[in-house]
Amino acid sequence: MRGGVRGVFRVERRKLAAQLATRVLALVCLVGPFAFAAILNVQNGTPADTLLGVWVHSSGFAISLVVLGFAGAWGFPLVVGVLAGDMFSSEDRYGTWKTVLTRSCSRRDMFAGKLLAAMTFSLGLVALTALSSLLAGLLLVGDQSLVGLGGAVLSPGHCLILVLASWLVSVLPVLAFTSLAVLFSVATRNGIVGVLGTGLVALVTQLLDLIGKGVLVHMLLIGSAFDGWQGLFTTHPFYGPLAVESIVSVGWIVACLGASWLILRRRDFAGTPATGRPGWIRPVRVVAVFLVVIALLAIASNWGPVGVTRARLRGSLTPTFNNVALLQQRLLGRKVRAGAKLNIVTTCFRRTSTQQGPGDWTCTLDVFIPTLGENPFQQAPVTYDVSVQSDGCYKAESPPAFVGQQTIRDTQKHQVVNPLFVIYGCFDTL
Amino acid sequence: MKAVRATGLVKRYETTCAVDGVDLEVAEGEVRGLLGPNGAGKTTLLRMLFGLVRPDAGSVELFDRPLHPPDAVPLQGVAGFVEDPCFYPYLSGRANLEILAELDGGPAGQEIDDALERVDLARRSGHRVSGYSTGMRQRLGVAAALLRSPRLLLLDEPTSGLDPAGTREVSSLVRELAGQGVAVLLSSHLIGEIEDVCDGFTVLRRGRVVWNGTAEELRAQAPASAYALTTSDDERALEMAGDQFGVRADRLSTGGVAITVEAGCLDPYVLALGQAGVAVRRLELRESALENMFFALTGP
Repeated sequence: MRGGVRGVFRVERRKLAAQLATRVLALVCLVGPFAFAAILNVQNGTPADTLLGVWVHSSGFAISLVVLGFAGAWGFPLVVGVLAGDMFSSEDRYGTWKTVLTRSCSRRDMFAGKLLAAMTFSLGLVALTALSSLLAGLLLVGDQSLVGLGGAVLSPGHCLILVLASWLVSVLPVLAFTSLAVLFSVATRNGIVGVLGTGLVALVTQLLDLIGKGVLVHMLLIGSAFDGWQGLFTTHPFYGPLAVESIVSVGWIVACLGASWLILRRRDFAGTPATGRPGWIRPVRVVAVFLVVIALLAIASNWGPVGVTRARLRGSLTPTFNNVALLQQRLLGRKVRAGAKLNIVTTCFRRTSTQQGPGDWTCTLDVFIPTLGENPFQQAPVTYDVSVQSDGCYKAESPPAFVGQQTIRDTQKHQVVNPLFVIYGCFDTL
Repeated sequence: MKAVRATGLVKRYETTCAVDGVDLEVAEGEVRGLLGPNGAGKTTLLRMLFGLVRPDAGSVELFDRPLHPPDAVPLQGVAGFVEDPCFYPYLSGRANLEILAELDGGPAGQEIDDALERVDLARRSGHRVSGYSTGMRQRLGVAAALLRSPRLLLLDEPTSGLDPAGTREVSSLVRELAGQGVAVLLSSHLIGEIEDVCDGFTVLRRGRVVWNGTAEELRAQAPASAYALTTSDDERALEMAGDQFGVRADRLSTGGVAITVEAGCLDPYVLALGQAGVAVRRLELRESALENMFFALTGP
């Protein structure tokens, strides 16, 4: 008889379940979103820097999306690092490779079984976080409509579908990070590098997102697909980046797992004394390779077509502003006919010499309001400081002198978010 | 059918040749001792037999089936351990055995109970392995090997860390299994611990086989054994040693007489002492013939 892949999977499942770290992670994924929503409920502040963060008091769906945004940037890379980053290296630490490989299991069985367990647990924690954040939002805030990334109001039913789809989109990048954690674990044989490696990669990814104007490197980064859901929430959804980033995730999965398998397959389980090398050499080599890759990526970050351009930003900000300005008027009780359009002329410039690429932009929207006097139009300029990310998503803020305070009173005398105060939007960078 | 047939095995690590053209055969039901000082290549050889290490040259057949590392599945019935048996420290001894049974194809509740009972670990089986002594881990390693109903047992220094009683138990278990037709390859750097168990020996030195044969052949070629003798009249014992064939004697600085005796010459000497009225109060083996042979083969 042979245990095979199924036997290894069952063993790994049992080992993971027995480990304190796994239980703590499950608890954090379950309780974390509730704690987050509860803390927001008792204070006035909002995580406005995060996409849709200003809406966390207005719609429970925003809670889930803010959690997803944070989880994609930091949470999931760290979680899968803890789960998968020590799965192979722990056998080195405990000296148990020789114990398990002298049973009725081949290296292939061990690799596949461990991988299956790591991916199952990783996806399990994603599902737990998704469910928990959605429930936390709906129970503690409610199922109100949400203002999307194009300024349009999305109905609760539509929001629910989009939120679930967004969490589904994160499956591939989570698996990509899991595969990377496995590679670190196999290649370095060091639990610390395995566990922290994915977190470091996430940090570097965030930093690389801040530099360079080329779209190529940004799309090829391992975590790029975590942002893929953003295109679903625009007034005219776009799927190009999502498709490309999903393919990139699959590429990362194949590359990491292929390299891991080759290393494991070729390896001699000879014990440290036989090789005669100090244990720190291997992790240092891997870290050195990692640093070289980062340097190359930084150099290449300007290559390829430019994703963030003045025309794209202007083309996205204008209709988004139009939508939220009309929403504000409706909230204030003014009648606005469906499909109404303001006359807006938008000018944008980047605060550096290069007039393209992510970073800080300033956009002035001149709104021409029809009047009955001598001048047929009254010009009302509104200036926004726009922070644009490499993925084409932006946050635009304007001083209260232009757009009023963060909250306004609606017709029923409720304090509601002023939709003009902070505007979120996204455009297609391809 | 040979349980083990290794031919021309070579393994190099950078500039070191750990195993250098080793041939080895172990028959079914045979207990073969794999001897050599530390660094002789015993563990590397066992790792190659388990498929944990790829040989640079040569081949391994277990029960006439070639082993193809690196992705070889250990054959059914091949069990044992190399170096210290290692387990998951955060799990109990029993949980570790359950995991290993799972890797072998399924749960084995009664077999686990029997194996734990056999190595005298049943009472501590619920405790975490992190709290086990070296000897207990060694016993757990033997229990893990027994779970596979072995036809070939590869044991790397199985008595290391065991007290004398534990060593005796392992020896008796090995003999019992061999009686049931199980082939056993037993490595050690101390011939004294396994000389009574083995049917044959393969001695390694610097990765090469320097002696291979049966226990009888080894004993026949072995130099004299060395004893410490204390009698009622050590002076007389010294004198008489000079007259006895195959016996040499010297005075020990700590008192008593050191004698070296060729095979078969000890009994006549002791009888002669008795007949001469010299009482033998203590006769202690200091270096057995096999130990002397081992040192001669593996010494610098």
